Amino acid sequence: MLEVRDLHASYGKVEVLQGVSLDVADGEIVGLLGRNGVGKTTTLKAIMGLVRASAGRATFDGVDLTGLAAHRVPAHGIGYVPQGRGIFPNLSVEENLFLGLRSEPSAQQRALIFDRFPQLQERLAQKGGTLSGGEQQQLAIARCLVMQPKLLILDEPTEGIMPILIREIRSEIRKINKTGVSILLVEQNLVTAFKICSVIYLMEKGAIVHRSSAADLKTQPDVIHRYLGMAA
Amino acid sequence: MDLVIALALNGLVWGLIIALIALGLSIIFGLLDIINLAHGDFFMVGTVLTWFVLEATGNYWLAFLIVPLLGFLLGALVERSVIQPIRGMAALSIVATFGLSIIIQEVVRAGYGAAPKRILPPIEGTIPLFGIEYDYYRIFAAAVSVIAIFVFFAFLHRTKLGTWMRAVRFDRDTALAMGVPARTVYMVTFALGFSMAALGGAVAAPITTVDFQTGVDVLPFCFMAVIIGGLGNLPGTVAAAVLLAVTEGVVTSFTDPTVARIVSLCLMSAVLIARPHGLFTGATR
Repeated sequence: MLEVRDLHASYGKVEVLQGVSLDVADGEIVGLLGRNGVGKTTTLKAIMGLVRASAGRATFDGVDLTGLAAHRVPAHGIGYVPQGRGIFPNLSVEENLFLGLRSEPSAQQRALIFDRFPQLQERLAQKGGTLSGGEQQQLAIARCLVMQPKLLILDEPTEGIMPILIREIRSEIRKINKTGVSILLVEQNLVTAFKICSVIYLMEKGAIVHRSSAADLKTQPDVIHRYLGMAA
Repeated sequence: MDLVIALALNGLVWGLIIALIALGLSIIFGLLDIINLAHGDFFMVGTVLTWFVLEATGNYWLAFLIVPLLGFLLGALVERSVIQPIRGMAALSIVATFGLSIIIQEVVRAGYGAAPKRILPPIEGTIPLFGIEYDYYRIFAAAVSVIAIFVFFAFLHRTKLGTWMRAVRFDRDTALAMGVPARTVYMVTFALGFSMAALGGAVAAPITTVDFQTGVDVLPFCFMAVIIGGLGNLPGTVAAAVLLAVTEGVVTSFTDPTVARIVSLCLMSAVLIARPHGLFTGATR
């Protein structure tokens, strides 16, 4: 489904991505883990076309994403929830939700969202910036689901969320995955990654340094310590 | 006293026209980070195009349709050829738009001529207002400006394109990731800014001189309105434009226009010292 091959990207003269390669297959939940500043978010942005790749390719169902204008990427079936959720605080919940649609949302699109996130329906007129962190995360995910993506890219969805709500977000990600949506997840919370990911990639200095199933990685505390600096 | 009322009313009318022009300046700055030194010339182009429409058709009212439309097309052309290549480089925008200002003025001087001309108001007569006889046309000009400002805010808050403009202004990358065509939004925003200034020119043409340098006087006034209203604060820009123009109008009735402009500049300086984020924003220094 998603194939990233030898992806390079730079900010000015600093080469942040130095040949990232990873795959997300149909129906998989794939985790991308690493310390701060190793290039996880830049990898996601390069896939989305928000950072220009200087070399390498990212293809999705055979379409070369690296050659596309960023605003055309979602139309190919990729939803992106950025780090910090990317809610527009000056827009209403409704405007946030349906921002990417060219026309008015259909009854089916509304039902798809409000059946899953009924509390958003009660807050449609409210400004996005007035929602709690958990509600904003729901809105950010719902905003992508409106576009009916085949792949959902989530950048640290549990960051800044109350621990009690993290379980709900994990459960929501699993439910979305069960509807056939693949997930690429950047996560600092190792527990979340182990609980929901089938495959985990570890990044270091702008490149993938380890790939294994979540179950295998659990049994390699030295790898976890070396690349993540924490105990499993 | 009659003079004070007349000049205050003139100030109010002029303030509403300036508000229309300054809104364009404010959205261009707020969304594109462009300090547009050619914005006064967009207004001047509106007055000159109005003169040409009147010359060609003999119908002043057609200018209200044709001039904003031509302004929009010219704005789209300028955005693609001058602004788009320097997007993200705010300092360069000053040089580029200063150059654009000179080019526009010289093109107009070559095509229209250097001699100032006047357009007679299409509505003649006066109406009693606050104890004085006041021109019908000026009331009409104020009404058109108010309607145009309301239409602009309705566009910004009630249409998909307006929502996209507010989204891109806040976070371009996330908007792109949601499928919003940011480049098109930039172009439409700049074109809209040009169009609003040109409409301001069409409205103001019968109450000002039609001259290739008319924009030079208008530009500082627009910048003062944007700064006093708060950068990017659109309702604040409207309020500041009206406040400034009425203040200048009233002061002019007691002294000469130069002193009135000095008073405006003092007012702006005081606002910058006391409330650097603008008179109509929450933050203070």
